[in-house]
Amino acid sequence: MRKYLILLFILSFTLVNCEKDDICIETTTPKLIVVFYNNEIPDAKKVVASLTVSVDGKGNVYDNKSLDSIAIPLDLTQNSTLYKFKSGAITDSILFTYNRKDVFVSRSCGYKTIFENLQIESRSSNWIKNDIIKNTTIDNETAAHLTIFH
Amino acid sequence: MKQQLILLFFISFLVSATINAQQKADTIITKESYGIRVGVDLSKPLISFLDEDTKGLELVGDVRILRNYYAAVELGYEDKTTKEDYINFTTNGSYIKAGVNYNAYKNWVGMTNEIYVGMRYGFGLFNQTLNSYTPNVKGTYFIPVEMQPNTEFKDLSAHWGELVFGMKAETLKNLYLGFSFSFKKMISTKEPENFKNLHVPGFNSVYLNNTGFGMNYTLSYLIPIVKKEK
Repeated sequence: MRKYLILLFILSFTLVNCEKDDICIETTTPKLIVVFYNNEIPDAKKVVASLTVSVDGKGNVYDNKSLDSIAIPLDLTQNSTLYKFKSGAITDSILFTYNRKDVFVSRSCGYKTIFENLQIESRSSNWIKNDIIKNTTIDNETAAHLTIFH
Repeated sequence: MKQQLILLFFISFLVSATINAQQKADTIITKESYGIRVGVDLSKPLISFLDEDTKGLELVGDVRILRNYYAAVELGYEDKTTKEDYINFTTNGSYIKAGVNYNAYKNWVGMTNEIYVGMRYGFGLFNQTLNSYTPNVKGTYFIPVEMQPNTEFKDLSAHWGELVFGMKAETLKNLYLGFSFSFKKMISTKEPENFKNLHVPGFNSVYLNNTGFGMNYTLSYLIPIVKKEK
């Protein structure tokens, strides 16, 4: 009887050590999805031939890419992010403002930050002709939040 | 007292012997103690000593109600800080579990060891404190900063069911060493807002499908009240 007890004691410790290690698989803090459209034909997507996207003092999110849609992170330590969009040699700046909200996801993922009340505070118009915010709340990456016409 | 009992034992033997004088008296009547068994979970103080983030105590008790059935209860308190990759929170509160054990072990005459299966209903009352968290961001373009809200979610509760497997061995007279393993399933919980009961006192870690595991190592003492014939 006592032998069984000792055996079970040891067995139980191996069980404790075999607890499954949760890995974060849920979606976390979403990025801002931007799609580029043709200013002359507003229904047609238009590729930016040589696009470089960056924030001052940081590296490039996209470096000299040919794309018609991008996903860019927003600064989750403050309520605004100033992005530089460079098409070829021409640069435009967009200042995004928003409210942040931290939403609980799960044990392994913790919290994600979602952005509400997205607005364009200011924008230069060197190569970007127009913009439309499709969705002021950024809580997923399934649909575009911002359309840029050029 | 003991002498009286022994005397009583022999008298009863004689009485039954005279009554059943015609029968072949080859069966010995043995008596087993029925009483209240109280004890403590030894693992909780040990864990409290080894892990500075966990404090806890659990008292256990059972009463033998039928030959193979024991009504069992566990009362406990826990204060535990859980550190996950992106969150750090403290749970503190108390719990009660009540149920029945069925002893499936065939003892030798005079022995009262157990290998049992049991069921429990558990109820916990507790608070959760979200100490800190770091928003989870894929990529390293913007580095998030750790937030320290220290939000306390009070008066939370949980109801759950348990399936218990265990054993108890009488190591000294009336002194039992026991081990049990339990599988738990949450029935209902009062959840905090924008957070989750990831740890519940008495239930331990609440996994994704609302299940949990637990175990205890008990040292308990049987207070004999009545002796019944086997």
